Amino acid sequence: MGSERDERRGEGEPPIAVELEGVGKRYDGAVAVEDVDLAIREGEFFTLVGPSGCGKTTTLRLIAGFEEPTAGTVRFGGRDVSGVPPEGRNVGVVFQNYALFPHMTVGENVGYGLRFSDPPGDVSRAERVRELLDLVDLPGTEERDPESLSGGQKQRVSMARALAPGPDLLLLDEPMSALDARLRERLRVQVREIQRELGITTVYVTHDQEEALSVSDRVAVMRGGTPEQVAEPRTVYRRPASRFVAEFVGDNNVFEGTVAGEPGDGENGDEDGDQEGPVSVPVDVDGATLRVAVGGNDRGADGDPGIGDRIAFCVRPQHLRVGRTENGLEATVESAEFLGETTRIHLAWGDRELLVRTEDPLSGTVVVGFDPADAHVIDVDGG
Amino acid sequence: MSDGSGGLESGRKRATRLRDRVERHALAGLTVATVAVLAVVFYYPVGTVLVESVVVDGAVTLGVFADLLRDPFYFGELARLFAGEDPVAVVRALVAPDRRLGIVGFTAYQAALSTLASVALGLPAAYLLARFEFPGRRTLRSLTIVPFVLPSIMVAVGFVATFGRNGTLNALLAAVGLGPVELMFSLEAIVIAHAFYNAPLVARVTTAAWESVDAGAVETARSLGAGPLRSFLDVVAPQVYPAVLMGAALTFVFTFGTFPIVLALGGFELATVEVFVFRLARDLNYAEAAALAVVELVISLAVLGAYLRYEARHTVTSRGVRPLPRRPLVPSAPTAGALLSRLGLGVYGVVAALVFLAPIASMVLASVTGGDGALTLDHYRFLVERQRTGAAFQVRPWPAVRNSLVFAAASALVALPMGVVVAVVTTRRYRGRKLVDAVAMAPFAVSGILVGLGLLRGLVFGVEVAGWRIAVAGSAAIVAAHAVAGYPFVVRTVAPGLDSLDRSLIESARALGASRARVLRDVELPLVWPGVVAGAAFAVAISMGEFTATVVLATGADAYTMPVAIERFIGRRLGPATAMGCVLLVVTGLSFVVIERLGGEYDGI
Repeated sequence: MGSERDERRGEGEPPIAVELEGVGKRYDGAVAVEDVDLAIREGEFFTLVGPSGCGKTTTLRLIAGFEEPTAGTVRFGGRDVSGVPPEGRNVGVVFQNYALFPHMTVGENVGYGLRFSDPPGDVSRAERVRELLDLVDLPGTEERDPESLSGGQKQRVSMARALAPGPDLLLLDEPMSALDARLRERLRVQVREIQRELGITTVYVTHDQEEALSVSDRVAVMRGGTPEQVAEPRTVYRRPASRFVAEFVGDNNVFEGTVAGEPGDGENGDEDGDQEGPVSVPVDVDGATLRVAVGGNDRGADGDPGIGDRIAFCVRPQHLRVGRTENGLEATVESAEFLGETTRIHLAWGDRELLVRTEDPLSGTVVVGFDPADAHVIDVDGG
Repeated sequence: MSDGSGGLESGRKRATRLRDRVERHALAGLTVATVAVLAVVFYYPVGTVLVESVVVDGAVTLGVFADLLRDPFYFGELARLFAGEDPVAVVRALVAPDRRLGIVGFTAYQAALSTLASVALGLPAAYLLARFEFPGRRTLRSLTIVPFVLPSIMVAVGFVATFGRNGTLNALLAAVGLGPVELMFSLEAIVIAHAFYNAPLVARVTTAAWESVDAGAVETARSLGAGPLRSFLDVVAPQVYPAVLMGAALTFVFTFGTFPIVLALGGFELATVEVFVFRLARDLNYAEAAALAVVELVISLAVLGAYLRYEARHTVTSRGVRPLPRRPLVPSAPTAGALLSRLGLGVYGVVAALVFLAPIASMVLASVTGGDGALTLDHYRFLVERQRTGAAFQVRPWPAVRNSLVFAAASALVALPMGVVVAVVTTRRYRGRKLVDAVAMAPFAVSGILVGLGLLRGLVFGVEVAGWRIAVAGSAAIVAAHAVAGYPFVVRTVAPGLDSLDRSLIESARALGASRARVLRDVELPLVWPGVVAGAAFAVAISMGEFTATVVLATGADAYTMPVAIERFIGRRLGPATAMGCVLLVVTGLSFVVIERLGGEYDGI
């Protein structure tokens, strides 16, 4: 649904490297992925993110050729690759569990792909292996036994092995999931640097939305076998296309209510008389009237909501300010999690739970409010 | 990527492309070859036999089956049921003391008893191996595979040497002043011999299941308030029980189709179905032999099928578990419970030694004991003498040894690639895999007589193909039969390794440019090499010990093997048979050692 929304891009974009059109995969009747339309550009770092079972790994495997789609087409540079086995696709794959060949040395692992194709550039096989081990910052480890390496080192060897034959496409399947948090952060920066240096088109699969946002050029948030939104990380974060995306990517407060007036109704440019901002509508949520900015939301054909429409919108926890009376909600503190730089506070407002981020702990009853411009409309359901 | 600089480069590229194309289809080619071999030397011959059971004088009929089912000689009281009598009367007759079981009924009865005996003898061994630590435990665990691959006719000779009228058991009893017991040609002898074969199998599968019980699960049960017995019954037993059932099901199938043991220990008086099929075939009554073989096959497959259905529903795959800690066999603190369990194991040890070691020891002893009880090398001298002066129609030792070795090597060379290919094909996931698995593993369940008979009638006697008469030499048919009997073992030793290989290893290699066949060569086979070596050892051992199909096919004077030689000797005098048995034991043992050396180190399966 949301995939076209972000395709309005300028001329001179790099050509499309990988294209999935109406791709589906069923196993014995069970749907793994369905209606996947993706266009990944050359040199792009493209991430598939979603909870387990959302079809992100299946999508990657369909691109790699480990699985054949039961519907639709996969194209590499415009060429239909259905029926082309993995060894004919010139892709490099890195798995979560490294998948290093235990009966080969590090050097033999990295050099394995060079048995089937000449090294890119005018270098010998041994030189190419050395180059790649330098690239991943493991020089001189050719003779080591893979089992003697740490998890992070194994993953870098796996990366070097995938890159050695000079693939057109790098596919990374949850490559960091088996590593500890600190190492993961360091390694993902390193992976991104290598990717930029080589300019290689990369498809990255992760369940970690933070990882997805931090490294990618674009992200596809998947759910139930289909991408719900394909966009740049900032867009996904600020303008989630669905309630699912809103809640999956970062913390969020999602409200559902009924539009109670026309856009601009009751908007009197109070206080500073600011009319420059977006127009807002009053929304009735569980008896409270909250003002939500509309327009400028890139809502396209949906148009502005009319009175009586059901509407869903979200407000990030950091935008719910304690003590703010505009859109003020009186809530009681349920619990607090100290996260270091901030504290995440769980509030009870009626039957709903609200999340707020503050620097200091809170207790008792508080009033939290938000700027209508900080509310993002996710969905409008015309009556 | 460059456009090349002249003919040399393009020539190289063409060669690479050609190699790629060959490699890409190598696995498919091998699969087709395997299917072809199976079709020609298994399904076609067995098929011809089955056809013979329903085609009489060119007309299709079920008459042979109908007669068979209604014949009390085969089905006992049950035959009256098939003949349309009142079921109540049949049941009443069946529970009466003078019931008739018939051949089929007796076969099932002795198989059931043998299964019970095997489980009874196997479970304590599993308990010992899974729960106790003692010097030589790993060796003992590896040794449990040995009885299963020992040549059955040799084991039969060992049992005759132990339990026969002049056997070691009676000698021992006489020494302590007890009268002789007559165990030969009795049901007891057959059941004990079957337990010798199958109890280690039960012990093996049960031990494996017991070792895969996660200590964490037991500890959780204990912490929740279950006592030791309760946690055993609630946590351990449910995970071990399916393995026991598998051992029992396999034992039943194996002992239902038993041949050499019953032939040697029971004679035709206590004939099982397989023995009778042999006898009917020998009397050239092929239609009835075929029909009886079909009945046998249906019963075996029904038991296996029932088990496989059960297994599919109850398989729990637990990987990476922390096994239960083993206790030292010598208890550190002698409590009543600890002493009792050790006492039980001690008694078991004596029984087990008697069952497993006595036959082999007795055979060796008998081979160097003369009629007067004194030590002698006469039996071996007889073999040498026979080799030197034996007539052409007589069985001579050296051709038997040579044939056994040649057949074993040749059949292993066929069985290994077949087994590896089937292992590869059946460990990949796709629709219809179960069917492929069943088709490929059928030789496991089909009786050797049936295969031998089919090969004899179908290939050795010759078939007409497009005006050409194609006949296969008896020795080639023997190699084929041995390969068919041996390759399921290769599958069973190689497939688990392949199955547990991380799929991403294979996928990584393929993404790096390796074809499917290349991945098999570069990644999979090196990683499961111990299984391949074990499979080769199995294939050789099965061939060396195979008796059933061989005895059918070795009609000519020149194609007999060591087991056939033993059987021919045993009919006359025990001495030379035991000497020949020792020769077989040594040759089989040496082959094992050689294979192990050739294949590099492996720690058994």
